[in-house]
Amino acid sequence: MSARAETREPAARDQRLVATWLTTMLAVFLLMVVLGITMRLSQGAVVSLSFPDFYAIMTMHGLGMAGSLFAAGIAMVWFVAARYARPSRAAMWIAYALFVAGAVALLVATLVGKFAAGWYALYPLPFLKATWPSWATGATIIALMAMGLAWLVAQLDILRALAAEYGIGRMFAWDRFRRQDGAPVPAAVLIASVCAVAGILGTIVGAATLMMYLFKWFAPATEFDPLLLKNSMFMFGHTIVNVAMYCGICVIYELMPGFTGRPWKVTRTVVLAWNATLLFILFAYFHHLYMDFAQPLALQVLGQIASYGSAVPATAVTVFGLGSQIHRSGLRWSFVPAAFTLGILGWVLGGITAVVDSTIAVNLVFHNTLWVPAHFHTYFLVGYVLILLGFLFQLLRSGAERLAKVGLAVMVAGGYTFVLMFFLGGMDSVPRRFATYQTIPYPWLVERATELAKWGAGAGSVFLVGALIFCVSLVLGRRRSANPDE
Amino acid sequence: MRRAASRKADAPATVYRVRRYYAVALIAGLALLLFLTLARTPYVRSALETPDKKIDVVGWMWAWDFQADGQSVGHPLVLPARKLVEFAVTSKDVNHGFGIYDPDGRLVAQTQAMPGYVNHLRVRFEEPGTYHVLCLEYCGAAHTIMMAEISVQ
Repeated sequence: MSARAETREPAARDQRLVATWLTTMLAVFLLMVVLGITMRLSQGAVVSLSFPDFYAIMTMHGLGMAGSLFAAGIAMVWFVAARYARPSRAAMWIAYALFVAGAVALLVATLVGKFAAGWYALYPLPFLKATWPSWATGATIIALMAMGLAWLVAQLDILRALAAEYGIGRMFAWDRFRRQDGAPVPAAVLIASVCAVAGILGTIVGAATLMMYLFKWFAPATEFDPLLLKNSMFMFGHTIVNVAMYCGICVIYELMPGFTGRPWKVTRTVVLAWNATLLFILFAYFHHLYMDFAQPLALQVLGQIASYGSAVPATAVTVFGLGSQIHRSGLRWSFVPAAFTLGILGWVLGGITAVVDSTIAVNLVFHNTLWVPAHFHTYFLVGYVLILLGFLFQLLRSGAERLAKVGLAVMVAGGYTFVLMFFLGGMDSVPRRFATYQTIPYPWLVERATELAKWGAGAGSVFLVGALIFCVSLVLGRRRSANPDE
Repeated sequence: MRRAASRKADAPATVYRVRRYYAVALIAGLALLLFLTLARTPYVRSALETPDKKIDVVGWMWAWDFQADGQSVGHPLVLPARKLVEFAVTSKDVNHGFGIYDPDGRLVAQTQAMPGYVNHLRVRFEEPGTYHVLCLEYCGAAHTIMMAEISVQ
């Protein structure tokens, strides 16, 4: 084990690698935003989509968003890992190539092949009475396997590099409980380790599930247990989506001290909270199965306890840590710390509303209503994505502060209005995953849901404009920093 | 990266002073929430009572079939008000969501319809009127039109 705990600036080649990952993911993200707006326009009866088209778009939107944002999170964690350890650039490029190949295949399978079983493709829907050809199911499974392999390669290498540098126990800061006198592991390394382990476990479960799907595709007579596959698919999906968020938090722990001039303290509370998060995040997915009453009661109760346990401690220590970073630090609110702080706010608001829905008694009337997309769009769209853009701005050393801030303000205004429409819909029992609301047998609910969808589409478009302004600021800022005399 | 080395290296002690109260309040609040809400889960609600009526529900792409004593009872399903009704919900193809909306269009109860499993949902319809069942789990192209009617008298 090396005693080195000093931060080193990653080499230019490292920066190029991470910038390539993140700009690719940003392009995918923007395309998925367009698909999302299209769905809300259809629900708002502004455009007319056929049912198969709507659900093919919904499937691509869900898979594309979760997949690209998780991949972006891995790239950010890789960057942090490269400041303290020596992860492999080659492994990361291989992962990138695999991910891009998978993403292209997925676009073809959904937008051309019209595969439309939803991101979670609940067994046995992908194989029954489908409105899409069999090849689209196979292409989707293989595409997801390629993306899963990409994540696995990258995460295993990050874990290897951190373990080689710090050792397994110190990676998770367990030495803090033994009253050791040595310097604590950096906070970002602790969270990177949590992300890598949880992400790897989630990805492995996903890979096993996809292998069963592939087997079923080759041998249609094969039968699997639908409840088992529902468990494994949600364990995979829920875990990677939450780990993506924690990858963003990891970057904040790493970079925020650079703006405040204060170290992010690794107290025992911080260590305990993040180790608890690692434990609980693996069991929190049970909250997706509350309405499967056949599931053993103990697992349902565990789902609620683990949901509280995974969401609350990490949020609590991060908010406290951020508060003690900012309080009387004389911080200048440039774009990056502003985006980070707003990102944490979105994460917390999304987290609180997720905890509300993870309460079994509430879930009974919120499950599969618009409350669900409301909370995860909150912690992604006005949470994680802002952190991601802040990181990208810092990484590319853009100089166009003012324009980027305009983009941020527009994104925040559009984003919060967008998610508010989902929350209002959830409180009014509007079901999610409805291609049209016109079939609902309550005229007031049809009118309400349609109106909210229209506003959602408008607000989503405002967010998109803000994101494009931010992209322009990246390009102009790069040009300006390349030609300082201009 | 900018370094603000000249600034005070640590947060003021006041920030850390509140930490203990913050942690205690958070843990106590969470424990209370868990205690209060777990007692109100749909699994334990009405668990000790004997249902007045039992209805078997089978979901399939894209319709609901109601059965009593092994016989299909057709649509709309007629049920008594203020009596405890148990729905035994399953599916014969893919996953569906059995969501019951009251006459005002509010979701009042739900469970999943899953092939190979039966989920028991107990509901007491307090108000007479027309209730609707909407599918709340995406189940294929015609998911949005998968619904049924319950007349509570």
